[in-house]
Amino acid sequence: MSEALTTETALEDKVATEAAPNPSQDRPRSLWSDAWRDLRRNPVFVVSGLLILLLLVIAAVPSLFTSVDPKFADLAHHYLKPPNYSHIGQADWFGYDGQGRSVYSRVLYGARASIIVGVCTTFGVAVLGALVGMFAGYYGGWLDSLLSRLTDVFFGVPLLLGAIVILNAFTHRTVWSVVVAMVLLGWTQIARVMRGSVITVKQQDFVQAARALGAGTGRILFRHILPNAVAPVIVVSTIALGGYIATEATLSYLGIGLPPSAVSWGNDISSGQTVIRTAPHVLFFPSAMLSITVLAFIMLGDAVRDALDPKLR
Amino acid sequence: MRGAKSAKWVAIAGVVALAATACGGNSSSGNDGKAKAVDPSGVFSYQSNEPQHPIQPANVMETGGGRITDALFSGLADYNPKSGKLENLVAQSIEQNGPSDYTIKVKKGWTFHNGEPVTAHSFVDAWNWGADTKNAQQNASWFSDIQGYSDVHPDKGSPKTDKMSGLTTPDDYTIKVKLANPAPYWTYKLGYSAFYPLPKAFYSDPKKYGQEPVGNGPYEFVKWNHNKDFLTKTYAKYAGPKPKNGGIDFKFYTTSEAAYQDAVSNNLDVLDQVAPTDMAKYHQDLGKRAVDAPQNAIQTIAVAEYAPAIKNVKDHAKFIEGLSMAIDRATITKTVLAGSRTPATGFVPPAVDGYKANACGEACSYNPAKAKQLVQEADGANASISILYNADGGHKEWVTAVCANITQNTGVKCDGDAKADFKTALDVRTKKKVQSLYRSGWVQDYPLNANFLKDLYGSTAAGNEGGYSNKDFDKLAAKADKAATLEESVKLYQEAEAALYKDMPAIPLWYYKTNAGYSENVTNVSYDTFGKPVFTDVEVYKK
Repeated sequence: MSEALTTETALEDKVATEAAPNPSQDRPRSLWSDAWRDLRRNPVFVVSGLLILLLLVIAAVPSLFTSVDPKFADLAHHYLKPPNYSHIGQADWFGYDGQGRSVYSRVLYGARASIIVGVCTTFGVAVLGALVGMFAGYYGGWLDSLLSRLTDVFFGVPLLLGAIVILNAFTHRTVWSVVVAMVLLGWTQIARVMRGSVITVKQQDFVQAARALGAGTGRILFRHILPNAVAPVIVVSTIALGGYIATEATLSYLGIGLPPSAVSWGNDISSGQTVIRTAPHVLFFPSAMLSITVLAFIMLGDAVRDALDPKLR
Repeated sequence: MRGAKSAKWVAIAGVVALAATACGGNSSSGNDGKAKAVDPSGVFSYQSNEPQHPIQPANVMETGGGRITDALFSGLADYNPKSGKLENLVAQSIEQNGPSDYTIKVKKGWTFHNGEPVTAHSFVDAWNWGADTKNAQQNASWFSDIQGYSDVHPDKGSPKTDKMSGLTTPDDYTIKVKLANPAPYWTYKLGYSAFYPLPKAFYSDPKKYGQEPVGNGPYEFVKWNHNKDFLTKTYAKYAGPKPKNGGIDFKFYTTSEAAYQDAVSNNLDVLDQVAPTDMAKYHQDLGKRAVDAPQNAIQTIAVAEYAPAIKNVKDHAKFIEGLSMAIDRATITKTVLAGSRTPATGFVPPAVDGYKANACGEACSYNPAKAKQLVQEADGANASISILYNADGGHKEWVTAVCANITQNTGVKCDGDAKADFKTALDVRTKKKVQSLYRSGWVQDYPLNANFLKDLYGSTAAGNEGGYSNKDFDKLAAKADKAATLEESVKLYQEAEAALYKDMPAIPLWYYKTNAGYSENVTNVSYDTFGKPVFTDVEVYKK
C-alpha cells in the first residue's frame, strides 16, 4: 500500500513538474480535485462506492440478477417456505413469503423504490435548501429574517409526524408523493448550513473583486459564491441520504408510504413483522438490505466529509 | 334500515358481528369426558367491551352492549343457535293472517326481574317508545315495516303521535300487527334486540334504567363497574330453559390480544373472538378448547358497474365469471387466512334459511384454464382492475393473494387499492368513485336468504353501491315479498338468487367463521351463527 502511494505521489509530482516547469506559476489544486485525490485513497470510500454502484445497478436492472417476477405468487407450494442457501441466485435462495413469492426477487426489485426515494429526496432537499440558504445569506436584511423564520417554522415540524400528515392528504400515493413530503420537511437543515457558508464566502476578497469588475448579482451568486459554499451542503446531504431511505421504509411500514401493492423493502418489512416467530427470513432479508444500503450511503457521506472538510474529521 | 346496514359493515370491517339473539332453547348436554364435576351455580367470565350507551334494547348497536342486552332479555322468538331457524320463546304462537297481518300470542307466566309480569303491553309500549323520534333510538328503523311508523318517526319535524297505528292489543296476551307493506320475513326480525319487552319502571326514568337494567331474560343485573366489568346472575324465576350456570361476568377488554392472553392463562373463561395476530397459533395454544364455528357472514368482491374499467370490457358478466374462476379459494382460506374462513359456494351462507348448496356452481370453483378462456372471450385480457379495501381490517393479505391468482391465471392486471380506514373506503363506495372492484362484507341482520340478496342486489337497495340492476331479480324479489307464506318467499328468493349468477354482480369469496375458545374452567361452550356464545349452555367446573 505504502509503496503504491509513494509511486502515485511520485508520478503526480512528475506530471506536475512536466506540465508546469515554472513552480511559481503552478495553479493551486482546487478544492474539488484535492478532495477527489483524498477520496480515491480512502478505503471507506472505495468500499461504500462499490456497494452503492452495485445497488444502483440492481435498482436499474434487477432482471440481471433474477428471472423471477417479484409479484409471482404460488400459495400451493411455497407458503412461508424457509431459505435454501445452496440455491444461490435461484427463486428459493432467501425462501418465500406469506404469499408464496420469492423473497430473493422481492429484495432485488425492492431496491428501486428505496434508491429512487433516497436519491430524489436528497436532490430535492439540496436544491431547495441551498437556494433558500443562499438568498438568505447573500441578501441579508429583511429577506434573511423572513427566510430564516420560515426555516425555523419548518424545522420545528418533526419529519415523521409531518410526513404522516402530508401523506394522508394524498389519495393516490406513489414514490413521488413520498419524495415531495420528505423534501418539504427536510430542506431546513441544508438551508441553515448553506446560509452560514454563504455569509462566510461573500466577505472574501474574490467576491469583492468580481463585484468591482462589474459582475452582476446572478453571476456573483452562481459563478463565485455557489461553487465555494456548496461543499458543506454536499457533506450534509450525502449523510442524510441514508436516513431518507430509512424514513421511507418507516412510512411504508406504518402503511402511509408507498401503496401496499408496490414492491419495496418498507412494505416487505411491514408484512414480515407479523410472522417473525414462524418465518423470520421474511423479515430478515429486506431489513438486512435496508441496513446495508443505509450504511453504504452514510459511509460515503463520512468519506466525502473527510475529504471536503478535513477540519471536521 | 340504512343505519342498521352501515353498522353491519363496520362490524364486518374488523370486529365481530353484533348479536341479535337472546339465548335459550335447544341445548345439548355436553361432557368432554373429564372427571371434573360441574357447578350449576358457577359464574364464568366472558370477553366483552364497555357498552357505548346505557342498556336500552332499542339503542344497542355494538357488540359490547349487544351481548349484555341479549343475556338480560328474552324476545318473542329466538334463532336456533345451529340452524338459525326462528323458534318461539316468549311467544306462544306467531300467526300470519294475511300478507301483512300477524297475530302474536304471548305466553303467560313470564316475569321481569322485578316481578312484573310480561304482557302484550310490555312489548307494544317498548316498540312504540323505541320507534319514537323524540327518544332518538339507534335501532328505530327496525320498526319501519309497521303501519304508522312514519307518524311516530317522520323524516323531519316532530311526531304526530306516540303510537304506531299498526300495533293493537285486543287483550293482555295478544298483539295484532299490521305492516305498511307485505313482508313475509318480518317475523324473523322479532329475534333482534330492538324487539325486546320493557317493564313499566323503564318509562319513568330511562336514563337511570340504562345503568341498572331490568329485563326478562335468563340473567339479571348485579353490578356495572364501568370500564371494568358487568356482573349478572341467573334469574331464579326465568320461565325459559334454565341456564346451566350461575351467571356471567362480562369483562371489558380494550384489545382482543389482552383477552386472548387471559384466556390462555385461564384468567378469562370464554373468548368472543381471537385477535388476527393470534390466529396462527390459537389452535396450538388452546388445543381442544379452540372453537371454529360457522358464522352467517360473507366476503365478496363487488363490481362497480359504473366504472370505466368494467364498462370497457365487452362481455362483463363473462369477464367477472372468469375472474371468479381464477381464484383458488380453498388454498387462500387455508394458508393466507389461516383456516378462519370457508370457501363460498354462493351468495347465501350455509346456516341461513334458504341456503342452497353449491348455488354458484362452476362459477365459484377454481378452474384456471376455463378462467383464462372466459376472460379472453369477454375481450378483457388486457383489462386492468383494482380491488378497493380498507387497510384497517386485515384485508391486505387476501387481496394480494386474490390479485396474484387473477393476474397469473388470466393475465388481467390486478392491484389492491388500499384506503386508510373503513370510513374512507365506504365514502368512496357511496360516492361511486370506485375504480373497478371493491371488497364487500355482509353480516346477517336475520338468518334469512332475503337479507343476503334483496338488501345487496336489489336495484334500489341501500346496500347496492355498485349500481347493479337486474329486472328479473327485482321482479322475483318483489314477488317473494308479496308471497303469502315465509316458505314460499324463501323459495322465490332462491329463484332470484339463481338469476344473479347469470351476471355475477359480485364474486362470492368465503363465509366467515367464529374463531374463539375457552379456558380450562368451563366446558360445553358453543357459538351461534351471530358469533355469540350460547350463554345458557356454558357449564362451569367446580373449583
